[in-house]
Amino acid sequence: MNQAVVNVQNVHKVFGKKNENQFHALKGVSFDIQKGEFVGIMGPSGAGKTTLLNVVSTLDKPTDGTIEIAGTNITSMKQGQLADFRSEQLGFIFQDFNLLENLSIYENIALPLSLQGVPSRKIKPSVVEVAKKLGIEAILEKYPVTVSGGQKQRAAAARALVHEPAIILADEPTGALDSKSAKSMMEAMLHLNENHGVSIMLVTHDPLSASYCERILFIQDGALYKEIHRDGNRNEFHHQILDVLAEFAD
Amino acid sequence: MLLKLSFSSMRKMFKDYLVLLFGLTISIAIFYMFETLAQNKAFLESNAMISSIVFIFHVGTFILAFITLFYIFYATSFMLSMRQKELGMYMTLGAKKHKVAQLMFFETFFIGIISLVVGVIVGVGFAQGIAGLLMDQLDFSGEGFHALYKSSVITTVIFYVALFLLTSIVNAIKISSKSVLDLLHAEEKHDQVKAKGGRTILGVIFAVILIGAGYYAMFNMAQLAQFGVILAAITITLGTYLMFISLLPYLMKKVKGIRTLNEKGINSFTFAQLRFRMGNLTKVLGTVAMLVALGLGAMTAGLSFYNNVELQASMFHGNDVTIHQPTEKDIQALNNMNTTEENTYHYKVDDNGVYFLKKDLLDHPPLIKQFNPETLEMPEPKRVATDLPDAQYSNSGAEGMKNIPDPWSTALSTELRADFQMFGDRDIFIVDQAHYQKVTTAEQKVVVARVADFMAYLPQLEKIEKRQQQLAASYTGEPGLEMAGGSKFADYMAYKGIASGTIFMGFFLGVAFLMMMASVLMFKLLSSASADTHRYSMLRKIGVRKSLLVKSIYKELFLLFLFPGLVGLVHVLVGMQMFSFILVEPYTKIWLPISIFIVIYGVYYWLTVQMYKRIVLPREA
Repeated sequence: MNQAVVNVQNVHKVFGKKNENQFHALKGVSFDIQKGEFVGIMGPSGAGKTTLLNVVSTLDKPTDGTIEIAGTNITSMKQGQLADFRSEQLGFIFQDFNLLENLSIYENIALPLSLQGVPSRKIKPSVVEVAKKLGIEAILEKYPVTVSGGQKQRAAAARALVHEPAIILADEPTGALDSKSAKSMMEAMLHLNENHGVSIMLVTHDPLSASYCERILFIQDGALYKEIHRDGNRNEFHHQILDVLAEFAD
Repeated sequence: MLLKLSFSSMRKMFKDYLVLLFGLTISIAIFYMFETLAQNKAFLESNAMISSIVFIFHVGTFILAFITLFYIFYATSFMLSMRQKELGMYMTLGAKKHKVAQLMFFETFFIGIISLVVGVIVGVGFAQGIAGLLMDQLDFSGEGFHALYKSSVITTVIFYVALFLLTSIVNAIKISSKSVLDLLHAEEKHDQVKAKGGRTILGVIFAVILIGAGYYAMFNMAQLAQFGVILAAITITLGTYLMFISLLPYLMKKVKGIRTLNEKGINSFTFAQLRFRMGNLTKVLGTVAMLVALGLGAMTAGLSFYNNVELQASMFHGNDVTIHQPTEKDIQALNNMNTTEENTYHYKVDDNGVYFLKKDLLDHPPLIKQFNPETLEMPEPKRVATDLPDAQYSNSGAEGMKNIPDPWSTALSTELRADFQMFGDRDIFIVDQAHYQKVTTAEQKVVVARVADFMAYLPQLEKIEKRQQQLAASYTGEPGLEMAGGSKFADYMAYKGIASGTIFMGFFLGVAFLMMMASVLMFKLLSSASADTHRYSMLRKIGVRKSLLVKSIYKELFLLFLFPGLVGLVHVLVGMQMFSFILVEPYTKIWLPISIFIVIYGVYYWLTVQMYKRIVLPREA
């Protein structure tokens, strides 16, 4: 089932106007993410990780190149269409959770479904099901401020997942978590990937989090620098990642 | 050092402070405007139709002070919320708690004093501008009104200095009672909406009882008099606040509980925003409701006094215009009017009397109105039906004659204007043809007419009235004597002269209150909007169409505007009962002030949405 969920072709992103001080954030990046794959994006600060995530997530437009997600070319779509596309095909997990603090956890998770006009009676089973997958059924009626960071991030993951998007885009999901919560969050994501076939693109600078991925793309100065695959166990992969990161430091 | 730091950061947050200053300034300006009237006893007493007007203004001052108290506390606590993160940081860096509390105290007080100075100046300007405009429109000289009124300035300054001292102390205490961590993380806290069942029900019951008592007082204002005014002022103000504090959050919770509604589209977010807002802004919404009630109430009262002028003028007259010995110009003017009835009566005048021809009167009996001062109801016009069997009647009990029977004497004096003011001390007679022939002077005629719209012909009627006055002067021999009444037009002018002071006050205050309402709401909006920005940007990220977000904003703000507007409107509708013992029909043309209000409120709603959208929605390429 080698089917690309994400296909990035020669993408450039330039900030700043012509004749002004331009900054080339992405310089012809190309890669694929297959369906059911768990791919990590790593690189030092300023390498272009966030820019890459922004263009893949349709929040920003590439200056040049094409991006296809689930067979749709998103580079030529209009703002309104893009919003619809995001709400149907993409799931987001952010570093700072981005839950709406005036909605309960349940309402937060249900929001993407409500937005797609799913009738109320069908929403509840979906929310409960996804909450179970992430082990947060007990806190559904609580408000974000009253739960822990780890629980918040699981809630965010549940929200990203509830409408069964083509891919989940995670931006430093463990960045604001303590190591224990981070570990359990990554295990939950791995579980989703392995047992439910969820495709995930993870942007992180944390080698431990990255070691849960199957494949990692390293970028530096706006271009693909290296790609590594996990062949052995997670521990070995972790070391492999640290080795590549050490190359950056040199 | 800290002071320097805080000043520099205040400079940075200049925009936010501008909003705060604006809000405070308007509040002070309006308070001052109100006081220019309230404290000017001489002006009030000589210009109002209501004898206890000074007292009513005292009650008004009380209500306004109460509202202001809420408003100022809200505004200054907004300032606290703006500053606490930074002050928390100073504390982490080693600033002492009492220093920071001191700083907060001085900042609050400083802002207060600046706005007080600006507010009083703006208030004088407003008072001058609005009063000038209104006096112009109403043809009202407004003697004795001073835009810059010393004792009002003093009252305003004392009141606000006390208020700012109080709020500064409260802010300082609030800061020092919080831990450093609380301050640092203040922004992340969300205000939990508490809607405890038992207390809510108790609150609602109390609110209903209070408002009910206030309404009862307004219905029975004639009996309760001053006590009624005080009762209504206290109970309705408290009841309104209580209702917004208890009922609204509870209602919102219930609405949110309806799953099918809540889970439709972006509703869950819209409702959550509303619930969050209403929980936070109950007091502001209560304030807005009260200001709407006061502003709209003052305008409606003013307008109904204005309408009342015509009603009062037509209370005694079945006909709209009476022309003795019409000239060419009079006939032309009358022909140009849309008349619904026109009757002509012949008479003769000699040195002793005025003789009306009986046949004319009986052939075309005029419409008259008989006003009953006890019921105070608008009398319906009735046609005189009393027969006149005798050959002669007089109004002075002349020898061998009966007195003119009552409906006819009313008809002659008020409709045909055969009275002292027209004919001096001549007697008035009704005589048959035979006796009429015996009077040797020339025959004259008087035209009496009803027109379709009295108010539409005021300029023509004024000219006719002038010529009638000249005629009257030739009979009474006193050219300088102005006719104070007699015709409907003369009555109208007389009543208008008395009422325009009251109308002026109504509109002056109406405009002031509605302006304050606008500033309160705008303040609410701008002070909380920036906190919402991240929510909207997040929604946009997960793929909510911009149009949907805009719709949500429209809906949310609509409901926020709706509740206080409705409550205020109901207060006004019931409140107009208060005037039923001085106004003939307090509800006449009430649609007019209500429409004016709806238009102003609607425009304001629209503007609010636009500004809010600009702050909150993420900008897109």
